[in-house]
Amino acid sequence: MAVLNQNMYERELTRDELMALRNRRTAVTVFQISWIMVFVCLIVVNLQIRSNSPSWPPPGVQGLEPILPTVATLGLLMSALLARNGLKAIGVGRQSAFASNWRAALVLGGAFVAIMAYEWTTVQFSGQFSSIFRVMVAYHAVHAVVIGYVMWRVYRTAQAGGYTVQRHWPVEGAAKLWYFVVVAWVMFYVVLYIL
Amino acid sequence: MATVTAPLPGARVENEGQRIRFADLLRWSVDHKVIGLQYFVTSLFFFVVGGGLVMLVRWELLTPALDLTGSGTTYNQLFSIHGTVMIFLFIIPLWGAFGNYLLPLMLGAKDMAFPWLNAFAFWLIPPAGVLMILGWFVGQTEAGWTSYPPLSTLFSGDGQTLWAISLHLLGLSSILGAINFIVTIRNMRPAGMGYFQMPLLAWAILAQAIIIVMATPFLAGALTLLILDRVAGTSFFDPANGGDVLLWQNVFWFYSHPAVYIMVLPGFGVISEVLSIHSRKPIFGYRAIALSSLAIALVGFTVWAHHMFTSLQPELRIPFMITSMIIAVPTGIKVFSWLGTIWAGKIRFTSAMLFALGFLSMFVIGGISGVMLAAVPFDIHVHDTYFVVSHLHFVLYGGSVFAAYAAIYHWFPKMTGRMLDERLGKIHFWITYPAFFFTFFPMHLLGMLGMPRRVAVYAPEYQALNVLVSISSFILGVSTFIALYNMVRSLKVGRVAGPNPWRALTLEWTTSSPPPPHNFDGDPVPFKNPYGFGTEAAHLYLEAIESHSGPSAPPPAVTTALPEPAPSGD
Ligand code: HEM
Ligand SMILES: [Cu+2]
Repeated sequence: MAVLNQNMYERELTRDELMALRNRRTAVTVFQISWIMVFVCLIVVNLQIRSNSPSWPPPGVQGLEPILPTVATLGLLMSALLARNGLKAIGVGRQSAFASNWRAALVLGGAFVAIMAYEWTTVQFSGQFSSIFRVMVAYHAVHAVVIGYVMWRVYRTAQAGGYTVQRHWPVEGAAKLWYFVVVAWVMFYVVLYIL
Repeated sequence: MATVTAPLPGARVENEGQRIRFADLLRWSVDHKVIGLQYFVTSLFFFVVGGGLVMLVRWELLTPALDLTGSGTTYNQLFSIHGTVMIFLFIIPLWGAFGNYLLPLMLGAKDMAFPWLNAFAFWLIPPAGVLMILGWFVGQTEAGWTSYPPLSTLFSGDGQTLWAISLHLLGLSSILGAINFIVTIRNMRPAGMGYFQMPLLAWAILAQAIIIVMATPFLAGALTLLILDRVAGTSFFDPANGGDVLLWQNVFWFYSHPAVYIMVLPGFGVISEVLSIHSRKPIFGYRAIALSSLAIALVGFTVWAHHMFTSLQPELRIPFMITSMIIAVPTGIKVFSWLGTIWAGKIRFTSAMLFALGFLSMFVIGGISGVMLAAVPFDIHVHDTYFVVSHLHFVLYGGSVFAAYAAIYHWFPKMTGRMLDERLGKIHFWITYPAFFFTFFPMHLLGMLGMPRRVAVYAPEYQALNVLVSISSFILGVSTFIALYNMVRSLKVGRVAGPNPWRALTLEWTTSSPPPPHNFDGDPVPFKNPYGFGTEAAHLYLEAIESHSGPSAPPPAVTTALPEPAPSGD
C-alpha cells in the first residue's frame, strides 16, 4: 500500500475506499494517454493534408486570423490553473475558495468554446484547409462541452455540500479531464496557428 | 515416471445452485463471470455468422465463373462482412471473454476494477453487431474489412456508414475493456504476486490492453473522417477535391497492424499456460515470454506501412521492411521458449494440448509467410493475392482460433464445472487440423500463381486448387459444430470437473468450478511460481487445494474402471 499516492486525509479512508480511489486515478491516467491519441491522429491527418499542398494555406486561400484564438487559448490555460486551485482548495476544506476558482474556470471555458464557435462559423470555405480546421475545432469542442458539463455538475454538487476533505473524487476526476481538454487544445493550437 | 495419464475429474457435484444460467446472460450483470460468458456466447454466435457467410464465398469459388452469388456486389458484401465480423465481433470479443472471466480469478480478486464499466463495454457489442447486419437493408458495405476509399466512399451503399458507426462502438467497447484490464492488473494483484509472478496470460492481456488503448483511437479518428466524407460532404479521401486516399491507408494501418496483435496476443498467453500445464514442466524463459509481449506491442507501432508497399513512396519501403522483419524476433523468442517448455516434458495429449501444438506448428508457418511478405521484392508480386489471404489465416485461424480452442478445452471446466468430452475434442482436432491446412495452404500457391484476392471470377487454370480449398473449407466449417455440440452436450452430461482437473498452480484453480459469486472464500495465497511443477512445494500446494475445495480425481468407486489420476509430485 506504500505506493498509494495519498495525502494525509486519505488515511481516514477504508481499505476498499482507498483501492477504489487508486483504481480511479489509474483509470483516468490511462484514459488520458489513450484518448489523446485521437487528437494525435487528427494532427497527423492535418500534416499529411498539408504535405499534399504546395503551400499552407493553399495558394489563394486566406489564412487563419490568430488573435482571438490566441486570447481564447490563454484563457483556457488560465482555466486549467483555476481548476487546479479549486481542487487544492477542496482538499483542505476551503469550500468557498473552491467555488470561486471553479466558477471562474467554467466561465473561461465557456468563453473559449464561444470564441472557437465563432471562428468555426466564420472561417472561409476553402476545401481541405477549412475542412480539417473545422473537424479539429469541432472535435475538440465536443470534448470541451461534455467535460465542461461534468465540471458544472460537480460545481452544483459542491454547492449543495456534496464533497468533503476526504471524499471528493468527482472534483479530482473532473479537473483531470479538464486538463486533458486543455492539453489537447494546446496541441491543436500549435498545429493550426503556429506551424 | 514412464506412463502419465491425464487426471480424471471427480464426480462430486458442487455449486449447482450457483451455476450461471442462460437466462442470466440476457440480463445486465456486473459480475465479471457473467460478463465473460456473455462475451463468450456472443462471439461464438458471430463465429457461426461469419463462418456461414464465407461458406457462400467458397461455394462461389468452386467454379471460375460467377454463379452462386449472381453479382459481384453480393460477393463483395459477403467477404466484407465475413472479415469484419470475424475480426471485430468474433476474435476480439472472444479474448474479451477469457480476459474478463479469468483475469480476476487469476489475480485472486473478487471482480474487475470497474464492474459497471465492464458490463457497459460488453453491452456496446450487441447493438454494434445489429448495425453491421442491418447494412444489408440499406446497401451493405462492399469495401472489405479494410474499407479503402474510394471503394468505401464512392461505391459502397449506406451500409458502409452503418459499418463505420458499428466499428466506432466496438472500438469504444474495446478501449473501455482495456482500461479495466490495465487498472485491474496494476492495482489488484494479491499480496505476494509481483508482475513477474503473474500468470503469462495476464501478461499477454496487459500487452494487448496497452496496444488497444494506444492504437484504437486511431481507428476512431479514421472512422470519423470516413463518416464525414460519406454524410457531411467533406472530401478528405477524394482526390477529385484535393483529398488523399493514402490518408486512410496510413491511419487505418497505424491502428490495424497493432490490431493484429490485439487479435493474437492473448492467444500467446493461452499457449504459455496450456503448454506448461499439460506437459507438467515449468515454463521455459518466463521473463523472455513476458517481456517479448511488450516488445511486440512497442515494435508493432512501427511497421504499419508494410501493408502499403505498393502504394507508398518508394523511399519509405526499406525502413518499413526492416522494422517488419525485426518484429518477427520477439515472436521467435516465444516460439523457442514454448519448444523449450515442452521439451522432455510429460506431455499429455489432451484436446487443449493438441490445439496448442496445432497452434505452434501453424502459427510458425504464418510467421514465416509474414517475413516473406515483409520482403519488398516478394510483396510487390503477391500483394493483394491469395498469398496474403493465406498468411493472414495461418496467423489468425492457425494462431488465434487454435489458441481459442485450446483455451476452451482448458478453461471450460472452470467456467461451467463440467469437463468437455475428450473423445469428441480429439475428433474435433483431427478433423479441424488437416481441414485447416488444406483450406489455407494451397492459397499460398494460388497467390504465387497470380490469383488476386477479393474476386468472384478467376482464370480457369486456378480451378483445381480452388476446388481443393473450397471442399476443405466445408469440412473445416462442419468440424466447428463438433466443438459447439461438445460444449452444449457437456453442460448437461459432462463429467464434473472439480476445482482443479489439470492440477494447475494458478489461482483460478484454487476455487470451485464454477467459482462462487464472490470467487474466493477469503484471500487466496498465490503459489510463488505459477509454473513451478515437479517440486515438493507444488505437490503440497495442490494437496491443499483439494483438501479445501474438494477432489478433482474420481472417487474410489469409479477409479477401478478408470486410469489413475496424475501421479503425485507433479
Ligand atoms: C512475423 C511477423 C509478421 C510479419 C513480418 C507480417 C507481415 C505482413 C505483411 C508484409 C503483410 C501485407 C501483405 C500485403 O498486403 O501485401 C501482412 C498482412 C497481414 N497480416 Fe501479417 N505479418 C506478421 C504477423 C502477423 C500476425 C501475428 C497477424 C495476426 C495475428 C497478422 C495478420 C495479418 C493480416 C490480417 C494481414 C492482411 C491484411 C489485409 O487484409 O490486407 N500478421 N503481414
Ligand atoms: Cu501488418
